[in-house]
Amino acid sequence: MDGVHDMGGMHGFGRAVWPGADAAYHERWEPRVFAIQILVGLERLGAGPGGRPVREEMDPAQYLAASYYERWLYSAEQRLLRKGTISPGEIEAMMERLSAGETEPEHHDHAMAERILADLRTPMPMGAPAEDPRFDPGQRVRVKRMHPPGHTRCPRYVRGAVGAIEGVRGADRLPDRSVYGEQVDPEPVYSVGFSSEELWGPAEEPAWTVSLDLWESYLEPV
Amino acid sequence: MTDGHDHHHPRPASAVELRARALEALLAERELVSTDAIDAVVELYENDVGPQNGAKVVAHAWVDDAYRGRLLSNPNEAIAELGFGGAEGDNMVVVANTPIVHNMIVCTLCSCYPWPVLGLPPTWYKSPPYRARAVSEPRAVLREFGLELGDEVQIRVWDSSAEVRYLVLPMRPAGTDGWSEQELAAIVTRDCMIGTALPVAGQPVGA
Repeated sequence: MDGVHDMGGMHGFGRAVWPGADAAYHERWEPRVFAIQILVGLERLGAGPGGRPVREEMDPAQYLAASYYERWLYSAEQRLLRKGTISPGEIEAMMERLSAGETEPEHHDHAMAERILADLRTPMPMGAPAEDPRFDPGQRVRVKRMHPPGHTRCPRYVRGAVGAIEGVRGADRLPDRSVYGEQVDPEPVYSVGFSSEELWGPAEEPAWTVSLDLWESYLEPV
Repeated sequence: MTDGHDHHHPRPASAVELRARALEALLAERELVSTDAIDAVVELYENDVGPQNGAKVVAHAWVDDAYRGRLLSNPNEAIAELGFGGAEGDNMVVVANTPIVHNMIVCTLCSCYPWPVLGLPPTWYKSPPYRARAVSEPRAVLREFGLELGDEVQIRVWDSSAEVRYLVLPMRPAGTDGWSEQELAAIVTRDCMIGTALPVAGQPVGA
């Protein structure tokens, strides 16, 4: 999806660091929303294509105005609503109850805490490609021109550019299809290196390289 | 920061804060999400998982060449040797700085970050300026972090577009001969492992 989340190369956002930008978060509710979003996923309370694609569907102005964990709050709510775990208006009703001074309900289930911690500590590495990958290290490839309306991991700034295969990272399902529930086989994911000149044209800075991890479906031979 | 689920705030709640508290309250009332599970996740990333883990990995690689080799060739297992791993660290790649190569990591599409070794990302890493500019003017970005690299140093930017998560292995700075692994780990800041800073001997322990 060619939304505002796809930020590589955009101008106008200002300085990369500013006072206060070092903290992971500033407010108590932020890590709790982070935890809720993780629980929505691991406890299968939500529906839809996952937190990240849902955040990409946010209204662009809203996305840019929201803080990081406001976006996570949005995606947690959306996933719960889409599954029917909660209904429209229920959060607002609870906001009114809390504003009126009601004590927040708690629920204690230590087994759930243990289960979540175990899930978070369990690595789920990519497998190796089933067959010989189509592209070899050193081979030049072009990123396909495309304009996908849904989730993709192929940023705009590399589309149409020619890079060199640096290696195979593993095999993974194409997220453009798998996040919507399509059954697709894992395919090779390559590290592909691009020169700064190829991506951005001549620059004042000495040349640099940018490497990305790209699914085979995004690439074509040169 | 470790007070669990203390919901009692001295100031009026913002609209988003109230909304977040209401969502948690709703899920707890329905017994769908346990308050202790939320506490456990928050505490995990506040106390156990953070850049102190990555710093131990880097310091160990500095003093043990065989470990350094394993870390570069088989990073998942080498990091697991020190007890670290899990969500958002399933497919680690460690990129080593040299006198002529400087690595930096970014996620232009999202804010992907190697949680098991660095914890949760700083606000700037998740914000539009860094996500937009790290790939298109890395030296200008590094200068804003106070890092000026010579023209002979080639910058390599790694955009975490898939499930791979990156860790920068900085060079061990001069002036650290004879330091213990623990002393070395203390100068490996979070930003050194993202690639927006370099470790300095004698520098006060930072982020």
